[in-house]
Amino acid sequence: MSGSDESILWEVRTFVYRWLAETTRPPTVDRVAAEFRLSAREAAAIFDELNRRHAFFLEPGTLTIRIANPFSAVRTAFRVHANGRAYFANCAWDALGIPAALHADAVIEAACAESGEPLPLAVAGGDVVAPAAAVAHFLVPFRRWYDDFVYT
Amino acid sequence: MNRWCRATDRARGDVLPMATVWELSKAWYHTRLAADYRGRTAAQVQEIFARFGLTSDFWASAGDPGAPQK
Repeated sequence: MSGSDESILWEVRTFVYRWLAETTRPPTVDRVAAEFRLSAREAAAIFDELNRRHAFFLEPGTLTIRIANPFSAVRTAFRVHANGRAYFANCAWDALGIPAALHADAVIEAACAESGEPLPLAVAGGDVVAPAAAVAHFLVPFRRWYDDFVYT
Repeated sequence: MNRWCRATDRARGDVLPMATVWELSKAWYHTRLAADYRGRTAAQVQEIFARFGLTSDFWASAGDPGAPQK
């Protein structure tokens, strides 16, 4: 990639994240093309490259953003209320990752994977608020995260 | 935890208290919306993990430049 290509790549990444933060949804590739005055082919190539670099993750075989960590574009068991908006997170870590990324307090709707009971989590005043016994279970060894990233 | 692993036929991974997950989240995501964020190298990922004592084989990198960075 040329320097200018590399530059716009990261500008698009930033745009995607800020759009997500402001709207709770990722932008479409068409929206990005319009924002940056790109052809559909150019915007598609940028989306594919950002997906390849793990800057975000597309639904396989599409140009639809599914995951831009810590945000999820699809409904999950982790709903995060912050800055007057409601986001979906990919996992317990990302549920705390959203207030970390937004530099905001948050109230998190989650459930215990074992019991199914609601698990109240929050970030208040920069500190996490959680039941003393609450833990996060990381199932997949780090080196295998991308074998099946949605499962991870 | 062990009961859940047996019931769902999953191997136990690593378990972290929420306070640690929050500190890890801040280290991992604090700059995610910044315009100058460029992802991380495998070495930078391991440095973050090491800050939180995540140095077991479970958190080890595959060692290649395309290693996970989430």
